[in-house]
Amino acid sequence: MTNGVLIFVMAGLFLFLGYLGVPVPFALIAGVLLVALFTPVGLPSIMAQLFNGIDVEALLAVPFFLMVGELMTAANVTGRMIALSQALIGHVRGGLAQVVTLFSMFFAGISGSSAADVAVLSRTLAPEMKREGYSAGFIAALIASASTMANLIPPSIMAIVYGATGNVSIGGLFLGGVVPGVLVGVGLMIYSHFFGPVGFRRQRATMPQIAAAAKGAALPLVIPVIIMGGILSGFFTPTEAGVVAALYILAVVIPALNRGYFRQLPRDLAHTGLLYSIPLITIAASSAFGWMLAYLRGPAVVSAWMASVAGGDPQLIMLLLVALFIIVGDFIDAIPAIIIFMPIITDLTQNADIKPVHMGVVIIVTLAFGLITPPYGLALLMAAKFTGVRFGRAMLDSFPIYVVFLATILFCIYFPDVVLWLPKHFLPQSVGCFPNPSGAGYICPP
Amino acid sequence: MILCGVAIAGFTVSVVCDIATRMLGAPWLWLQEVTMTFFIYGVFAGTAAATRRNDHLYLAVLAESLSGGRRLFFEIFNRLVVLAVAACMVWYGYLNFLDGFRSLRMPSMTPLASLYAAIPLCGILVILFTVEQIVNGWRNGFPDREQAS
Repeated sequence: MTNGVLIFVMAGLFLFLGYLGVPVPFALIAGVLLVALFTPVGLPSIMAQLFNGIDVEALLAVPFFLMVGELMTAANVTGRMIALSQALIGHVRGGLAQVVTLFSMFFAGISGSSAADVAVLSRTLAPEMKREGYSAGFIAALIASASTMANLIPPSIMAIVYGATGNVSIGGLFLGGVVPGVLVGVGLMIYSHFFGPVGFRRQRATMPQIAAAAKGAALPLVIPVIIMGGILSGFFTPTEAGVVAALYILAVVIPALNRGYFRQLPRDLAHTGLLYSIPLITIAASSAFGWMLAYLRGPAVVSAWMASVAGGDPQLIMLLLVALFIIVGDFIDAIPAIIIFMPIITDLTQNADIKPVHMGVVIIVTLAFGLITPPYGLALLMAAKFTGVRFGRAMLDSFPIYVVFLATILFCIYFPDVVLWLPKHFLPQSVGCFPNPSGAGYICPP
Repeated sequence: MILCGVAIAGFTVSVVCDIATRMLGAPWLWLQEVTMTFFIYGVFAGTAAATRRNDHLYLAVLAESLSGGRRLFFEIFNRLVVLAVAACMVWYGYLNFLDGFRSLRMPSMTPLASLYAAIPLCGILVILFTVEQIVNGWRNGFPDREQAS
């Protein structure tokens, strides 16, 4: 059998089994094992690839950022951040819709996963929005869209996985994600203001009320400062920043705001232990799948085709990759997509002389968009389930929001200087700058 | 589930100790090996637990939209696929484990096989939990994913 046929069989079997209801990691491994029988690759070395996929120190950050999100949600201290969002923005048109977006921006700075954000918002703000007359479809679409910011604004689990597997600076990706994260947030606010339901008009909060809400939310809002401050100062790696943030929640936030929670801690710790293994075994399986794909020279063929179409034009290459990832993101989860297609991304990034952090940010924004696109829009599926609306209804209400994401992706492609401004100033080496040999500062190639 | 909790608590403590010893100027290098050991075993123990609770990532669950004999057929077929993959994890994971005695982890010089062992162990647990699901599902019907978790 030719390599093309083997790749087709491997991908086809994965999708067939996956859509039949076999868990993603097992469907991936089944595809790889079957195809390995037709190659000289020994099956024990596929098992070694499973191991190699997760034997990466940077991936240790994943459980810690999941733990931070879980602890914040389970200890029920997110209510104070919602109160602050309401005080700041609850009075404008579509007040609660604006609160959902602003809260998601705050929460994204603490948690790296959309799932925790969807769970919090569906439990807290969704019932109140329903009472105010927002349609269930709009609520699900907005919550899902806002939750994608968790993958853009640091700390982001997608950025950790991308950085760990693609050997790209995770700190650089964190900082590069800020601009698109804020753009998506602002875009959602503009959309809610002009095109969303009006909702109840509340009175503008007074300065003392805002100050009281800010004081209440101050302890949780220190977490992004700890995480980014530790990483940018070079004092912590992303993994260590995650540990310190988790310890800060356990030692400061929970004792101050919800002391009774400690009784539940062992149970939630065990749950987090289970929770982190789910994406990581998918990473292990995807890494074996990606390795076999590379062995069969799939990435080389695809990247050669893309390079021949785009002719070395970095923006066209990024547009082609965005198109590829929009299609891929419709059918498979972001984490396996990153790992399986990383060889193609790396190849094209090098050939077109694109900054790896820039490419990473564009891919991550595209995959975050994939969280709300059918048929496999994970955030939208969860939001629809939690708010009790049919997926089809939520999908229809999310269509207009696609404009916000597409505009953000195009902005990221065509304005790299804006996207890379933060990494360039705070982590210059992450974007290829090097220390000036004759003095202070850095020299950054164009 | 308990093993998952132990693993996450274990590598949290070892990362904290790693930071503390580094700040004190006397880093314990072996702590990184301890951390990775907890991490790897936690992933594979969690994989087995997630199989039992139907908590894995799914692309779609066609079987849950069916009923009667067709649902039974697809539910069992899906689990047979998982069983086949788990059996490969046990046997080929075991061969990989034996191969792991030829590589050593630094700085402790422990054979890499000590980490590779997690794969066949995970395979054994997945087989047990999947057989349990098939037997229970055959007798009482298969629960939807939400009910199972």
